[in-house]
Amino acid sequence: MRALFGVLLSLPLSMMLIGLAAAWVPVPWNSWLVLQLIIGMLLWMSLSLLVALPEKAWPPLVGLLVANGIVWATLQTTGIYGGAA
Amino acid sequence: MKADRLRRFIDLHAWLGMVSGLALFVAFFAGAINVFHHELHHWQESHHGHELAAGPANPDHFLQQLISRFPASADRMYFLPDEDPGAMWFQPGEDGAAGEWRTAHASNFAEDGSFTQQPGSELADFVNELHYELGIPGNGGLINIGMTLMGFVAVLYGVALFSGLIIHWPKIRKELFALKHQGNLRRYWKNLHNLIGIISFPFHLIMSVTGAAMGLFTVMAIVLGLLVFGPQLQGVIQKETDVWPPVQSQGETLAMAPMADYLAAANNELPGMDVGWVEIRGYGDAAGWMDVAGSQPGFLGHHVHVVLDNTMKPLRISAPGERTFNFAAISPVYSLHFGDYGGVWVKLLYFAMGLLGSLLFVSGNILWCERRSDRVGPSRSSAFLLRLTLGLCFGVVSGIAFSFLVSKLLPYTPWAALVASAERQIFWWVLVVLVLWSLRASPLRFSGLWLRIMPFLYLAIPLAQVAVEGSHAWQEPDALLVNLVVVAVAACLWGGRAQFRKRLRLAEPHPLWVGKVTRDHPKHLTETELENQGAG
Repeated sequence: MRALFGVLLSLPLSMMLIGLAAAWVPVPWNSWLVLQLIIGMLLWMSLSLLVALPEKAWPPLVGLLVANGIVWATLQTTGIYGGAA
Repeated sequence: MKADRLRRFIDLHAWLGMVSGLALFVAFFAGAINVFHHELHHWQESHHGHELAAGPANPDHFLQQLISRFPASADRMYFLPDEDPGAMWFQPGEDGAAGEWRTAHASNFAEDGSFTQQPGSELADFVNELHYELGIPGNGGLINIGMTLMGFVAVLYGVALFSGLIIHWPKIRKELFALKHQGNLRRYWKNLHNLIGIISFPFHLIMSVTGAAMGLFTVMAIVLGLLVFGPQLQGVIQKETDVWPPVQSQGETLAMAPMADYLAAANNELPGMDVGWVEIRGYGDAAGWMDVAGSQPGFLGHHVHVVLDNTMKPLRISAPGERTFNFAAISPVYSLHFGDYGGVWVKLLYFAMGLLGSLLFVSGNILWCERRSDRVGPSRSSAFLLRLTLGLCFGVVSGIAFSFLVSKLLPYTPWAALVASAERQIFWWVLVVLVLWSLRASPLRFSGLWLRIMPFLYLAIPLAQVAVEGSHAWQEPDALLVNLVVVAVAACLWGGRAQFRKRLRLAEPHPLWVGKVTRDHPKHLTETELENQGAG
């Protein structure tokens, strides 16, 4: 079950991390949208793998949940949501 | 790496493989055949009752007849230049009914413009549907359920691949040479699984990433839109992935030039392009355009588009070296997934890798069942999964063979009109019967019997075509290639049967295979467990 939750929690985190990268990289985000999807996919798979590292199931899942919150809050400090392409 | 951490990675790898293995088997086996999708389209064409035309049909005459009979096709259609030109368009439903994509060929029209369409085989499309959506219908809504499911499966498969790499990296060289018949059946399956996994890791990484990208494109776009970019993302995706904006018609008409002139104009803009299809938007409309799409051989991202307006003025060229970064990124995703960038040898390599991938998933599931039975003792779940794995895998392989046979033989019977439906139904019937059978039978006997039958099913396919269509089976290059491919499948299945029999001679089968797992059955320990015992 930890793998299933790991996969589910990693999806929004990987997409938001890609969003942060899109906000920081000095090129328009729409010009490399397909690459963002591919990198996001690889990131999603890699983050899902992290849940196997610790002995107990809950620390990586809580970690993923907290990371989702932090990255979401950081994303709000950028102008990317609703911003023009 | 610490032994307990390695054990967790092994558990994660096994769990993900078990969850996604059966779906991946279907996708890989159907995908291996689907590598020859284009050739299969030609193979499935029946020669019964079709008089060959004296020469190639006139594409412009066909377009005029098509638009006159189906006016909706003028708004948007995909035109296929061929000796018998074809077109695909969306036909809106009447009286509020749902519309559907239709196809027509020049040979469907008589000289007086009357339209008759003989029901024909849809085998290539069915194999494709099995590959990308497991044959699950539901293309109507925003999200295609089967395709999205396969996208999630591809993600799990990617995680299983990475975890497999972590597990095997420290002993990768040793495992490359570990495939030996040494008496231990489980060790043989394990070594075979590891060897295939290591050799074909790059191929599987490509398949998982590109498969997930295609299957989950809509889901990821929704998540990105909700969390990152906001509601304008949908419009941006459309703008970035469409070759040209939709037609804004002013109602002004225009006399169209012959299709050959548009193709020549595209070739003039991009010499050496190999035309695949032409997307026509607004045929006969002054604001309309045509996207002459195809391939430029010699490039991995070989897809090219030449957009012309209806007066043949070039509007946009998208080709290697002269396209946006998004188009440059999306083209290799498709070509790496479909293996259509390097000619027939690359396709044959993809075919072989697809079959090896199928074996990887079967061996992974068998390993999980035996390992679980050895570690926790008699287990109904491992016995069930082993039987389900065998039933489903043999059912899919046999079902596809039956679909091929029905596709080729039924057009020569009074039930020819039912061919498209029959080749799908026979697949599902065979699959259901074999799964139910496998759940009741001894796995060893069931496997022995079907490994004996399946090679003959695949050998019967080219023989059936020779019987009903004679020399078409080897004189048409595409038919010959498909027939060689199914003979290769038969040879692989025969090889699998020989290995299976050899293992039976050399080693006693695991008790799960004969349906006799008892509490007295000795436990086999994993290498990690043996190492831990040794350390203790």
